[in-house]
Amino acid sequence: MIDWKVIVASYPLLLKGLASSLQLTAISIAFSFPLGGLIAVGRVSRRRWLSFACAAFVNILRSNPLILILFWFYFLIPLLTGKNVNDLTSIIIAFVIFFSAYFAEIIRAGIQSVGYRQIQAGLSTGLNYAQTMRFIIMPQAVRAMLPALVTQCIVVFQGTTVVYVIGYSDLLHTASQIAERTVRPVELYVTVAVMYFVVCYAGSLLAQQFERKAAR
Amino acid sequence: MTDPIVSIRNVGLRFDRFVALDGVSLDVTPGQKIVICGPSGSGKSTLLRCINGLERFQSGDVFVDGLSVRTCKDLPKLRLNIGMVFQHFELYPHMTVLENITLAPIKAKGLTKLRAEEVARHYLDRVGILDQADKYPGRLSGGQQQRAAIARSLALEPKVMMFDEPTSALDPEMISEVLQVMLDLARDGMTMLVVTHEMGFAREVADQMIFMDRGRIVEQSGVESFFGAPKADRTKEFLEKILVKF
Repeated sequence: MIDWKVIVASYPLLLKGLASSLQLTAISIAFSFPLGGLIAVGRVSRRRWLSFACAAFVNILRSNPLILILFWFYFLIPLLTGKNVNDLTSIIIAFVIFFSAYFAEIIRAGIQSVGYRQIQAGLSTGLNYAQTMRFIIMPQAVRAMLPALVTQCIVVFQGTTVVYVIGYSDLLHTASQIAERTVRPVELYVTVAVMYFVVCYAGSLLAQQFERKAAR
Repeated sequence: MTDPIVSIRNVGLRFDRFVALDGVSLDVTPGQKIVICGPSGSGKSTLLRCINGLERFQSGDVFVDGLSVRTCKDLPKLRLNIGMVFQHFELYPHMTVLENITLAPIKAKGLTKLRAEEVARHYLDRVGILDQADKYPGRLSGGQQQRAAIARSLALEPKVMMFDEPTSALDPEMISEVLQVMLDLARDGMTMLVVTHEMGFAREVADQMIFMDRGRIVEQSGVESFFGAPKADRTKEFLEKILVKF
């Protein structure tokens, strides 16, 4: 029999799990977005070695599953360096590095959509390359890529569920623990699905909003 | 004779196997107005971009105010002396006209915002669109946009102004308002390098006419002899084509 009372009893824990998932997402985005921006600028640079290094970074990370990157930072780095890193730190490092590769690609496409003639215009007025990027190219690029960025943020949010494998208490892991304890998996996984849906769907509505604005 | 403000010395540039510039030399003295014409792909625009270092050339050198562009360590500073106006205006669409103009004076020249706006308004007034200062470029007509772009270059108070086909992207009825601004500028003594096919404008302001073809300067002479008695056959041919007579 379905018994929703278990949800009423456990919702403070679930909310705490959701908060923890959102926190992971927010911190990951806060660092991986600017890092992705730097890598994107590096990729479009005329300096061969720099664009090569940035392209390599992006391609290596995008060709590996997130869970493997997490393993690297959680198990292998402490093993190699002999230092203990706390769970949250290694999770954040893994997420930031992994997702920065995806943000870099989105930002690169955005930069290239603005076009080199705007860069030349900026440079011709005596601005240096960094100033041209910051004041002229990036603001336009961000506008063009907002829908893709929001979508990527949703992907980051969903991606945070991989912390399950190392037992970090995000929303999914919290729910599974309660489900195990109360033997109410249906109720819990349905509830959690609804919670993920609400957050992600709100996000995609936002992305659509930006898309409509950009089209105008 | 005064020292040239821009001195192009045997500049060569190739893209893979395509020779864009094939040993071009040219001196521009202060106050001089030089009009460059030639078929597309002849290297006119590329030559302009070599002067302010937007394009890297492989041989020869360009000197701006005595400084070598090839070895210049501070190109942004060198570019402050050379205004450039583009065919497609290249205003920044996310900024108002005023912000377009004040950006470089503030960030590259270190002017205060207040002072930069003062300068910007002065030049907007000069190109006749002071009333458009707070609009976004998308709200302006093509002619107004190009005038705003000219004001953006002028606000840096450059020693030379370069125009790269400034009226080619304009509707016919807007060409004259832009040419008028350029004419006024010429009369005020600005040193100008203009790539254009507006031959009426050229006759009016040019001290020197240059015809380029396949990356070379084919003909260089004063207005009278250029239009009256062009030496090279290639120039004659070209002039006959663009000076349509019915």
